[in-house]
Amino acid sequence: MKSLTVPAEIDQLDEVTAFIQKELAAADCPERARFQIRLAVEEIFVNISSYAYKPEDGLAEVRCEVTEDPLRVVVQFLDSGKPFDPLAREDADTSEDALMGREGGLGIFLVKSTMDSVEYAYEGGKNILTIRKNL
Amino acid sequence: MSMKMNLIKRGTEGELQLNGYIDASNAAEVEKIIVDLVPKFDTLILDMEHLEYISSAGLRAFKHAYMDMRTKHGTLAAKNVSKMVMEVLELTGFTRLFKFL
Repeated sequence: MKSLTVPAEIDQLDEVTAFIQKELAAADCPERARFQIRLAVEEIFVNISSYAYKPEDGLAEVRCEVTEDPLRVVVQFLDSGKPFDPLAREDADTSEDALMGREGGLGIFLVKSTMDSVEYAYEGGKNILTIRKNL
Repeated sequence: MSMKMNLIKRGTEGELQLNGYIDASNAAEVEKIIVDLVPKFDTLILDMEHLEYISSAGLRAFKHAYMDMRTKHGTLAAKNVSKMVMEVLELTGFTRLFKFL
């Protein structure tokens, strides 16, 4: 797996996006999947940057692998921040009232809606979130 | 900023062309520009032909513009939305923010 470690800060998003897009381009990833993986990666990285360590600082590691047979993209996010399972949250309510009132929760909902699998684990003092997208 | 915007004025109607992407790194700037246009027009059209990518941060920017527009009984409209951006709007229920032209 290719790996990138950056400060868990939103200003590192461009670097994370570029790292993933480079791996996807090398794998001839179709445009729609590339859009959706970019989206999932952003939502998860922004989540880690906003909540994992705040108000302290810390690092986030992003790993990416494209496997063949089945052709699949696997992206893993690791941080040593507070244990937090983003999947434990209820799915976002997309009704009009909820839409106008709510500010958070959309990101993880988009991740779950566009990826083939999303898994959370807490191991060795790290939050590990793994997303998979079949190509 | 990774987003270029171009405004066309037609009296009480404004059309803002969005070129590039809206993500967490530029959503606040994009939101400010769109929200600042709301008081100037009765109808604000967002031309998304060249909007190549949007995340939830961008959706929130649209939502805030919509709420301001609703308060003044104006219309927020969208046109030339790409298939992939439309999919994000549909998944999240954000299609109801816009009148589609």
